[in-house]
Amino acid sequence: MQPPMLEMRNITKRFPGVVANEGVDLTVLPGQVHTLLGENGAGKSTLVKILYGLYQPDEGNISFDGSPINIDSPATAIGIGIGMIHQHFMLVDTLTVAENVALGLGKQLSLTNLKPIRQRIEEVSEEFGLRVNPDAYIWQMAVGERQRAEILKALYRNVRLLVLDEPTAVLTPPEVTDLFVTLKQLTADGRGLVFISHKLNEVMEISDEITVLRDGKVSGHTRPAECTRESLATLMVGRPVELTRTLEAQTPGTPKLEVHSLAVRGDRGKLAVEDVSLQVHAGEIVGIVGVSGNGQRELAEAIMGLREIESGEIAINSQQTSTPTPKQVRQMGLAYVPEERMKYGSIGDFTVAENLVLTDYNRPPYVRRGVLSLSAIEQRSKQLVDDYSIRTPNTQTLTRKLSGGNIQKVVLAREFSGDAEVLLVAQPTRGVDIGAAEYIHQQLLTQRKQGKAILLISEDLDEVMALSDRLVVMYEGAIMGQIPKQEATTEQIGLLMSGVS
Amino acid sequence: MSEFFTVAILTATLTSGIRQAVPYLLAALGEAVSQRAGVLNLGVEGVMLIGAFSAYYATLETKSAAIGLLMGLLAGMFMGLIYAFITVVMHAEQGISGIGIYLFGLGFTDLLFQKQVGTPRPIQGLKTKPMNWLAEDTGRVGELLFSHTILTYVAFLLVPAVYWLVTRTTFGLNVRAVGENPHAADTLGVSVNGVRAAAIVFGNTMAGLAGAVLVLDIVQNFQQNLTAGRGFIAIALVYFGAWRPLRVMAGALLFGIVSSTVLTLQALDVISGSVTSIANMAPAVLTVIVLVVVSRRIGQPAALTKPFTRDA
Amino acid sequence: MKYPRVFNLLLALLGVFALAIAGCGNDDDDSSTTQTGTSFRVAVVAPSASNDLAFTQSIVDAVRKLEASNHIDEVSITDGTFVVEDAGAAIRGYAEEGYDLVVAHGSQYGGPLQEIAPDFPETSFIWGTAVDTFGLPNVYSYSVRSDLGGYVNGVVAAQLTESNIIGVIGPVEVGDAKLYVDGFEAGAQAQNPDVDVKIVYTGSFSDVAAAAEAAQSHISLGADVLTGSAQMVVGATGVAQENGVLWFGTQANQTPLGEDIVVASQVYRWEGILADAVDRVKAGELGGETFIMTFAGGGIDIQFNDNFDLPQEVRGSAQATIDGLIDGSITTGQ
Repeated sequence: MQPPMLEMRNITKRFPGVVANEGVDLTVLPGQVHTLLGENGAGKSTLVKILYGLYQPDEGNISFDGSPINIDSPATAIGIGIGMIHQHFMLVDTLTVAENVALGLGKQLSLTNLKPIRQRIEEVSEEFGLRVNPDAYIWQMAVGERQRAEILKALYRNVRLLVLDEPTAVLTPPEVTDLFVTLKQLTADGRGLVFISHKLNEVMEISDEITVLRDGKVSGHTRPAECTRESLATLMVGRPVELTRTLEAQTPGTPKLEVHSLAVRGDRGKLAVEDVSLQVHAGEIVGIVGVSGNGQRELAEAIMGLREIESGEIAINSQQTSTPTPKQVRQMGLAYVPEERMKYGSIGDFTVAENLVLTDYNRPPYVRRGVLSLSAIEQRSKQLVDDYSIRTPNTQTLTRKLSGGNIQKVVLAREFSGDAEVLLVAQPTRGVDIGAAEYIHQQLLTQRKQGKAILLISEDLDEVMALSDRLVVMYEGAIMGQIPKQEATTEQIGLLMSGVS
Repeated sequence: MSEFFTVAILTATLTSGIRQAVPYLLAALGEAVSQRAGVLNLGVEGVMLIGAFSAYYATLETKSAAIGLLMGLLAGMFMGLIYAFITVVMHAEQGISGIGIYLFGLGFTDLLFQKQVGTPRPIQGLKTKPMNWLAEDTGRVGELLFSHTILTYVAFLLVPAVYWLVTRTTFGLNVRAVGENPHAADTLGVSVNGVRAAAIVFGNTMAGLAGAVLVLDIVQNFQQNLTAGRGFIAIALVYFGAWRPLRVMAGALLFGIVSSTVLTLQALDVISGSVTSIANMAPAVLTVIVLVVVSRRIGQPAALTKPFTRDA
Repeated sequence: MKYPRVFNLLLALLGVFALAIAGCGNDDDDSSTTQTGTSFRVAVVAPSASNDLAFTQSIVDAVRKLEASNHIDEVSITDGTFVVEDAGAAIRGYAEEGYDLVVAHGSQYGGPLQEIAPDFPETSFIWGTAVDTFGLPNVYSYSVRSDLGGYVNGVVAAQLTESNIIGVIGPVEVGDAKLYVDGFEAGAQAQNPDVDVKIVYTGSFSDVAAAAEAAQSHISLGADVLTGSAQMVVGATGVAQENGVLWFGTQANQTPLGEDIVVASQVYRWEGILADAVDRVKAGELGGETFIMTFAGGGIDIQFNDNFDLPQEVRGSAQATIDGLIDGSITTGQ
C-alpha cells in the first residue's frame, strides 16, 4: 500500500461558542477520492479551510508526503501542491481566465506575460478535456465553464491534492457527469482528491473512501462497497432515516393554479420569465426543475404578487388576475413557502408563536377589537409546534435561535395549516438536514393526499423527481418541457436543463 | 464673442487649461489606483493640502524647489501609510476616515502655516520648461505643446505609466483582483492587505505630488485652503473616468479647459455681472452632471469600500 | 468601532507634533500687561495670525499703538479663531473677565456677538467690518470705504500702463472686494477713458491657483498692470512678479509679495476709529454707532513701495486725488 499523501491528525478548531472540529482525522492516499460527508454545519468546510491555510487549527497536526508541515497561509498550501475549488468560486469576474490563472504568480513589479500562461492553459485543457477559452472574461462564462476555469487554476499550479467543496451543487446532471470524468482522470495521474458533498448518490458513485462528520466529530469512516445510502444517512443524522419517497397513485382533480403566457422581468430589467403556461391540479405535485437563475424565483414571486407581471395572467381557484398582490392571492387560497426562510419566510427576532400566526394575526380569534389575543395565539402555536414536531424550548423562543430545519418547519406549519388549497413551495429543504428533509417531504405528500395543489420549485433534482407527479423544466425563463414522472429520466431532464431539447 | 476665437487667445486659454488640469490629473490617477484596489479615499483634498504645505515650507526654508517637491511626495507617502493603517489594518469605515483625513489636512496645514510662516511669502517654484526650445519656431501649436513646465510633462507621462502599471504588471493584476474579489486573490496567496496598502500609499503620494505641483508650478506661494476643493473634484473625475487612466485624463483636461475658458470669457467681458457667479459654478455643475450621467457605475470595483477579512 | 480610538490617537500624536513645532515658532502674539487701579482694558478676537501682514495684523497693530500712547492700559489678544464658535467663546470669556471694550474683528462674528452682547450690558463691543449694531446700546461697528483707495490705485495704474489694458482679480462679487474693484475701475477710467479695465472674479476667496490663472489670462490678453482683492491674490502676485507686470495691493501693504512690481497698496489704519470708540466708552457711551473709515479720518492710507521708481508727477497726482476725495471734489460713484 502506498504511503499517505496527507494526514490530518486530531484537528480541533473552536470559534466563539462553537467547536467546529473536534479531534478530526483525515488520511488521503495518492490516486484516491476521499469524500467528506456531513450535514451543513458538521465541520467539513472548516476542516478543508484549515487544510488550505485559511484557518489555523487550535490543536492537531498535519503532515504532507510524510513530513509534518504548518500550513499558515494559502501561499504555503499552494507551495506544497494543495489546491482548492471553493463552493463559491474564487474567480475575479472582471479578469480573463488567463489573468485569473496568473494571479499570485510572479514578482510584484514584473511584467505579466500572459502568452506562456495561455499556452499552458491550452495544453492543460487539452489533456483533461476542460474546454475553456483563456481570453474569456469570467463574467461572460456559464457556471460549468467557471468551474472548469477554477480546476484549471489549480492544475496550472501542479496541484497534487485537490479539495473540491460541494462542486456539484451548481451543476446540471450532464455537467456532473463531465466533472466526474475529469476527476477520474486526475486520480489516474496519482493526484489525491478531497470531495465534499451531501448528495448520497454522487458520493456512492465517485468515492474511494468516505469520512462522515457530525457536529464537528468523525461519526464514521467507510467505503462505498461497505455501506448503503441509508447507512450513510444514519451516520450523518445519528438515527435511521427513510430515504425513499412513495408517491401513492391518485387521480388529479380540477385545475387549482393556472398560469397563462406569463412574462416577468428580472432584477436587471431583462425578461426572466417568458411565455410560461402551466396548470396545477388538486391532489397533484408539479415540480419545477432548472439550474438556479433560470427564472424559477421570478416565476414564484410573480405568482405571489411580489413582482410585477409584464404580460399574461394567473388564476387561483378559477379567479383570474394579472395584477396580483400578496394579500389578494392569499385570500384566493394560495399559501407560500419562500426560498429564503430567514429573509422572507420568517422574522428572526419574533418568537416562534408570533411567526406561526404571522399570516393570521389580523383576524379573529387572534385579534379582538384591535388587540392581540395572546391566549388564542399561544393555544394555536402550541398545537402547531406539536403537530409539526418543531423542536423548540417553548413557543416564546426567538425564531432565529432554532436550527434551519426547525425554522423551515415553523414556516411550513404556518402555511400548510390554513385552508389554502394551493401551495407554492420553493426550495423547501435547502440547507436543512436529511432528517428534517424527510419530515418536510412527508408533509408535502400528506398535503397532496388531502387534495392540495402543490407547485414545488427546487434545484435538487432528486427531490423533485421523488415527489412530483409531473416535471416542468425551465431554462432561461422558458419551459423546455413538461414530463409526467413515469416517463422522466435523469439524462433527459439533465439535457433539458442545459437548454438542449 | 468673436474676439475669443483669435488663435492667440485660444492658445493661451488651452495652455492655461492644460496647466490647470495637472493637479486634477495627478490626484485622480492616484485615487483611481487606490479605488481599483478597493479602497476609497475621500481625504485626497487633505493630503493635497499637506503635500502643498510641505513642498512650500521646504522650498521656503531651503530655497530649493527640488527639495520642496521631494518633501511634498514624502508627506503624501506618509499620509498614505497612516490611511493604510486606519483602513487596511484597523478596518475602519473608509468614507468617514477619509473625511477625517480631509479635516485634519485642512486644519493642520492652516495651523502650521500661521505658526511657522504667518504671512504668505513668495517662493521660487519649479518652472523649468524643458521643451521650450521647440516652442520658439513651431508657432501656436508649438506653444500649446512645448511651453509647459517639467511637472506638467511628468503628470501627462504618468498617464501611460499608470495604465501600464495597472494592466501590464503583476502588481496591477493584484490591484485589480483585490478590488474585485479579495477572497479569490487571498486563496491564491496574494497578500490582500499588502496590495491594498501599497495602492493607498501610491494614491496618497500622487495626491501629495498634486499639492506640490499647485504650489511649485502654479501659485509659488501658500494660503489657507489652497486646494479649494480640487481633491474632491479629482475623486469625481475617477468616477467620470470609469477608473481608467486615459478617461481620467480626458476628464481632467475637460475641467481645466472649462475653468480657463470661464476666466478668459470674463476677462473679455463676454460674461460679466451676475452671470459671473453662475459661470464660476461651471466646474461644480459639470461635476454634478457628470456624476449623474455616469451613475451607472460601469466598471466600479466590486469590493470598493469593503474591508477584507477571511471570515466575511 | 475600532476607528475612533485609532483616529483619536493619531490626532493626539499629530497634535503633539504641531504643538512642538508651534513652540519653536515666533510665538510673540499673546501678551498682556496688568495694571492696578481703574485701568482701561481692551480685548481683541481675530480670525488669522497676529503676524499675517494683513487683516488681523492691522487691528493688532492698531491696539498696540493705542497701548503705547497710553490711550488704553491693557490689551489681550486671541488670534487664529477662524472657527466662529471658538471666537464666540473667546468674546464671552473676555466679557466675563470684565474687559471694557471687546473687539470682534471679523464680519463672520456678528452671529455670536448678537447673542453675547445683551448678557453684558456694562461691556462695550465693537465689531467689523460691518455696518450693523443690531440696535443694541452696547455694540459699535466699523467699516471701511475700500473704494476710495481703489480709486487712487486706479488713477495711478492708468498712468503707468503702456498697453492701456489693466487686469483686476476679485474673489466673489460682494462686499469689501466689490467696493474696491468698482472704485479702482472708476479711478482708472477717470484718469484715462481709453484704458480697458478687465475684471475677473474667481468665485473663491481661497482658490489661489484660480487667482494665478486669472492673472495669466489677463497677461495673455495684454494686461501690463494688475490688481486684486482678498487673500487668494498671493497666487496672482507670483505670476505678476514672474512676468514683470505691475501690481497694486489692498487691505495691507503687499510690497513683500513682490519687491520689484508692487507699486502701491491701500492700507487700513484702525487706530483712529478705535481711539474714538475708547473715548466714547470712557464717557459712558457704550455703543449704537457705526464708524466708517475714509481718508479724512486717516483710516485709509496709500503706502508706496519705496523700491519702485515711481515718477514724481504720478505720485503727486495720487496725493491730489486723495485731497479731492477728502474735500468732495472727486467722488468714486459709490
